[in-house]
Amino acid sequence: MNRLQLAAELKKILPAERVLTGDLERKVYSYDSSFMARFRNFIPDAVVLPLSTAEVSAVTRLASKSGIPVIPRGAGSGETCGCLAVSGGIVMDLSSWDTVEEVDVANMQVFVRPGVVHYKLNEHLAGYGLFFPPDPGSTRMCTIGGMVANNSSGLRAVKYGTTEQYVLGLEVVLPDGRVINTGGVNCRALKNVSGLNLTKLFVGSEGILGIITMIRLRVWPKPKARGIAMAVFDDLEKAPAAVLEVYRSGILPSGIEVLDSSAIKAVNMYNPEINLPDREAILIFEVDGNPAGVEWEGRKIAEVVGKLAVSVEWATDPKRMAELWRGRSVVAVAAARLRPDGSRIFAGEDISVPLSKVTETLRRIKELGKEYGVTVVNYGHIGDGNIHTAPVINLDRPEEVERANRLVDAIHKLAIKTGGSTTGEHGVGAVRNQYARDEHGEAVEIMKKIKQALDPGNIMNPGKLLPPEGGRGFA
Amino acid sequence: MPEELLDLKDLYLRCVRCGQCRSVCPVFEEVRNEMAAPRSKVFLAHMLANGEIKASKEAVSKLSLCLLCRACTRECPSAIPVHSLVMAARFLLARRVPSPVKKLVLRRIWTRPSLLALSVEIFRSCQKLRLFDIGISSRLLPPGFSLPGKLPDHVAQDLIPDVTPAAGKTKLRIGYFLGCSTNLFFPQIGQITSAVLSRLGCEVVLPKDLKCCGLPMLDNGEGDLVGTLMSANQDAFRRFGVDTVVTDCASCAAALKEHSTLKVLDFSGLLIDLVKSYGRDLKKIQKIVTYHDPCHLSRALGITDEPRELLRLTCSEFREMPGASGCCGGGGTFVLYNYNISMGILNKKMSSVKETGAEAVATYCPTCIMQLRHGITKNKMDIAAVHPIQLLYQSLCLN
Repeated sequence: MNRLQLAAELKKILPAERVLTGDLERKVYSYDSSFMARFRNFIPDAVVLPLSTAEVSAVTRLASKSGIPVIPRGAGSGETCGCLAVSGGIVMDLSSWDTVEEVDVANMQVFVRPGVVHYKLNEHLAGYGLFFPPDPGSTRMCTIGGMVANNSSGLRAVKYGTTEQYVLGLEVVLPDGRVINTGGVNCRALKNVSGLNLTKLFVGSEGILGIITMIRLRVWPKPKARGIAMAVFDDLEKAPAAVLEVYRSGILPSGIEVLDSSAIKAVNMYNPEINLPDREAILIFEVDGNPAGVEWEGRKIAEVVGKLAVSVEWATDPKRMAELWRGRSVVAVAAARLRPDGSRIFAGEDISVPLSKVTETLRRIKELGKEYGVTVVNYGHIGDGNIHTAPVINLDRPEEVERANRLVDAIHKLAIKTGGSTTGEHGVGAVRNQYARDEHGEAVEIMKKIKQALDPGNIMNPGKLLPPEGGRGFA
Repeated sequence: MPEELLDLKDLYLRCVRCGQCRSVCPVFEEVRNEMAAPRSKVFLAHMLANGEIKASKEAVSKLSLCLLCRACTRECPSAIPVHSLVMAARFLLARRVPSPVKKLVLRRIWTRPSLLALSVEIFRSCQKLRLFDIGISSRLLPPGFSLPGKLPDHVAQDLIPDVTPAAGKTKLRIGYFLGCSTNLFFPQIGQITSAVLSRLGCEVVLPKDLKCCGLPMLDNGEGDLVGTLMSANQDAFRRFGVDTVVTDCASCAAALKEHSTLKVLDFSGLLIDLVKSYGRDLKKIQKIVTYHDPCHLSRALGITDEPRELLRLTCSEFREMPGASGCCGGGGTFVLYNYNISMGILNKKMSSVKETGAEAVATYCPTCIMQLRHGITKNKMDIAAVHPIQLLYQSLCLN
């Protein structure tokens, strides 16, 4: 089927304005936020914007019959080319399908379509005194569908875990167009251990097994109070020790973030007004809960961390909290300021290591940066060992790009060697699938069998998550 | 001068395509596909500069999908002035894929006040002959042509003297930059502006040879003209020995501030100061009023508090509308090219206005007023869209 025929077939399923086939219309679907997408032309043959399960199913059936890849996409805020047509096909932009179908307050759950944006869901839930706890940095744009497909998390994973802990059930369109419900057909129970756990299988499957068209999410009562503690260290080593002390004192903060000296420097260059203390490391603790508990925990954190830190400040005043948090909130962007001609790239940005290895890993990444001659900024969720590394390079220099690619490869290998993972929350996509065998060994063969069983024609988001046949894939 | 795309390389390379701009773009909210997302325009600008996409009619049409409201510029975590990139891309496209009609209107007619006045005469005659109605209903003209409504019989320039003395002691001698919109479509607002300033102690100078501020040109890829237009305007005021000006139009204010050497005072701030030293109390109008932030005032110039304060001084009740800072969808000439999208954005604005229960919606931009009036008519609402100066005029009992 050529592109014109495909467009005509798709227009039989969806109204013409929701089938995009123009050159530029397809081209703007060639990127996400990943580094790799900058250098590739992953242009789809067509883009569709379905607004019903029936439309998704019909498009998938057509694709299956004709052997055309289907690539589901949310807001395209990912870092892994996960939503890009790496071998052509139909990109299915689900971001406009954004209805909150039902807030079932009595059963503490909500039913949403895949395109609902994270912060909008939480705004909606706030009206009921509820919230959906996982809190990605991309809250302003990322979709719940994308979060589920990538099992994403964020700043509050220390206490609240990742998306998978909240998914009670899914409606999924399979590659052949069939529609299934996981977690029970009419189930509204919070616990259900019957059957194989297909919900867990689809969460984090990055669109290679089917397309998620409805999500049944567990929601929680929204905490009434929040506080922030910022601790400054003259030795990076003391930061994880302080985290451990906080855990030992019986406190589970909702977030524990670290900025190392590179990040501190970047933030101060970005905005001197923020004026972070120029030391080796800064930890920012967030606690939430009821007001009395939050106050007690904050004081306790200040006490135990104070023994290791140069200084600790505890705040519950919203203005001061925002100020303390400011350094962390701008660091991702501030990184680029370390050099005037630099751009921050999203590659090797999301490794996850054992808590006991965080310091060692941060040091090793710094060394690797020197080795490859690439400026790196480190920050991340130290509370769960998830490190964000931001390489800063001049994108115009192919030689620098090449060095950055080698650095990224070394960072990924370091993560695996350290007993961690190449990705803690952003996913595999087409940028980390070459490490699948190193990370999972023989288990990869089982993953492939599952994929084959559900998608024998390999039309669902091919080239992602699983190792590329016989080589390094697109990297 | 608009910038050349290649000179803005550092800006478009900085875009990590995170997509945060999707959360604030009124056009994206309406169109709901990536083509309308601000980052796609940064991407297209990048591709155009690199020669990876050709300057084409499709590129012109896709890059027209931007109101230049600057919501994304404000939101961008990488601090990319997306609107500047869009303007630079349009500047490049206007040279490579020129539109003869646009060139004629923007370069030949709009730059010459006498020709512009003549065109308005012709426009008015066509209106009287109902040619626009016929044109729109037969789809020869875009529906946006109905926006100005019935054109007034006179332009403001003909109704206001070049120097209006202060009523009483002269506190301030100030230039009044009469923008095209007020001049052609709302001459009454122009007259009132000059009358109020005079009453509050200003000698108001309005040179007869003012030209356009250049914003329509900047928006449409003909921004190389802005320098010439601005120096003509600077000269016009200097001939009267004036270098401090005000304007009742938020868009002109932003253009003057960004592209001229004139000192531009915030209109509402000045009015508040003048009212405070006026010595007599204002008579509050018994009206519930709400306020719409023009993009060029709130985002380009960062002025949001003073207009509200003035409304509180003049009206018995001020009510904030939800999303007051959201664009009304007018976007200068945007409504001409993208009428349906513009109306979608406008409808949301009108529901916000409605929600307040206000009897008047005030705003500092004549183009926004035009758009809001269109929304009022379309939605059959019983509410007035006014310029705050009209309310102040009433509370000074000048009517």
